[in-house]
Amino acid sequence: MQRFISHNELARDRRFIRQNAITDILASLPDDVNAVVEAFDNLAPLIEAGVKNTPFEEVFQKFGPGFLPTILNEPIDPDAEYAVLRLKVRMHGIFMGELQALEGAGRTLWDFPDAPWEFKMNMARQCWDESRHVQIYEKLLGHIGGYVGMFPESTFLFEAACADDPVFRVAGVNRGLEGLACDVFRDMIRYAEKTGDEVMKQAVDYVLADELTHVRFGSEWVKEFTKDDPERARKAKEFQLAVDKKFSIGGTRSGREDATIPVAVADRKEAGFTDNEIEDLYRVSAEGPTRQTLRKAAAILRERHLARKAANGEVAA
Amino acid sequence: MTELRKYPGASNDERTCYQPYSAFDVPADLRALHGRYDVDTMAKRIRNFRYAEEWSMMIMGGWLATIPELPVKTGLGKIIWETAQAADVLGKRLPELRAGRNLQTASEPGNQEFADLIQAVAEPEDPDLTIEKISGMFDVLEPHLIAVYETTMRGTDQIADAPTIELLEDIVRKKRRHVAWSQEVLERLCDTDAKRDRRRARAQELRERLRVCGGVTGEMRTAGAAEAA
Repeated sequence: MQRFISHNELARDRRFIRQNAITDILASLPDDVNAVVEAFDNLAPLIEAGVKNTPFEEVFQKFGPGFLPTILNEPIDPDAEYAVLRLKVRMHGIFMGELQALEGAGRTLWDFPDAPWEFKMNMARQCWDESRHVQIYEKLLGHIGGYVGMFPESTFLFEAACADDPVFRVAGVNRGLEGLACDVFRDMIRYAEKTGDEVMKQAVDYVLADELTHVRFGSEWVKEFTKDDPERARKAKEFQLAVDKKFSIGGTRSGREDATIPVAVADRKEAGFTDNEIEDLYRVSAEGPTRQTLRKAAAILRERHLARKAANGEVAA
Repeated sequence: MTELRKYPGASNDERTCYQPYSAFDVPADLRALHGRYDVDTMAKRIRNFRYAEEWSMMIMGGWLATIPELPVKTGLGKIIWETAQAADVLGKRLPELRAGRNLQTASEPGNQEFADLIQAVAEPEDPDLTIEKISGMFDVLEPHLIAVYETTMRGTDQIADAPTIELLEDIVRKKRRHVAWSQEVLERLCDTDAKRDRRRARAQELRERLRVCGGVTGEMRTAGAAEAA
């Protein structure tokens, strides 16, 4: 068995389809209406092909490619239009993230056979935890009327687990990805409290407790691996910030007032993040487009979409 | 002359009383001292067992990404953790047997051929080789380890080496569950004669290698050679 596989080699059954371009673009957009419009307009044919025969097809017909950074990317408010679709998208995304986290922890065991024993024990424990999380989110997806494979999979999470240095793995996965999980799961718990969904609230709360443990694994191993090597420590920090920026998906998860997913500061502190690290996260995640920018861009994209449909003789929805 | 005592749970009309023989007043300990393995031999066996457990854990970890069947991925997640725990408790027994505290060097293959066999178990990589992956690990390697652990438990000193027996009992109990899980998985995966043939061929190939290397401790080879002689 080879070591250090690429994200393209992740094995899936026939239910899954893969689409990475959209997440990459969202993560790299500036806070500029025209730039957002151009990026999504150029991708319109690709997005249209990608949404075919998925629950996104209807919203694409109505809003055009701008539905991605707005309809799907707004906070999950139970009373809002498309709240259920938004919830399913997020739940499915979490399910895929847990699956890739499981695969990432497993690959770390295989890729670094000479790693310290306690590190391997932590990664083995993480394999079990992540496999339970996959099972939990598969059930929660069913609980809200969704199903596995209903949306495309982005493998950008596993990409953080492909580094060839174990300190980058734990910096990217355990502190970047699992840190994002803390933010997202705290938001899901708030949603479950609002809707009185005790099943979701309790299950996600248990998962969040596990994630804090995984972040702690990461915090401890980054320190251990870099204790006599300031250069390696600096590179690990840079890598983690790059992952944090990518995982912020253009400010969707950030410390801004308009953040769709706020940073779970208390949970992160409990998991070992320092005040300086949280400030760094605020800084890198604040660089993407604001919600106002995205909404303006989405309005322009919708106009263009409807105009194109009219020109093609299609009836606007 | 002390009064005869009844065994716990015996009624007055049952003639199952006994002569008290100790301050603790319990039935006689029928276990005998002395086993097949001395301290150094047992420490070496445990290093061999730990090698198999540690590598099994790492191999299954590597497979998670290249196995497409979701229930197999999630089922392996728990087995990986239990296998890591097995390696961990085996490693922790070593200092108790005067065999060092360094967990980094606590694993040792019985011989080079067994180390090669482990790499052969790890070999299947492609997503369409789940049968070969699971069969190698659970039709061959894990049943072999269960058999050797049980032989070890029976053969070692039942009192002096009781801590080894205790930890192996726990490992075997979990391994039996792993094998039962894998049988269900393989029965589902092998739904045609061709697939059943693949499973048989894979198991046969690895069993032969296992026989040649003498198993996890290498001693089956010695025993076989002695028998032949």
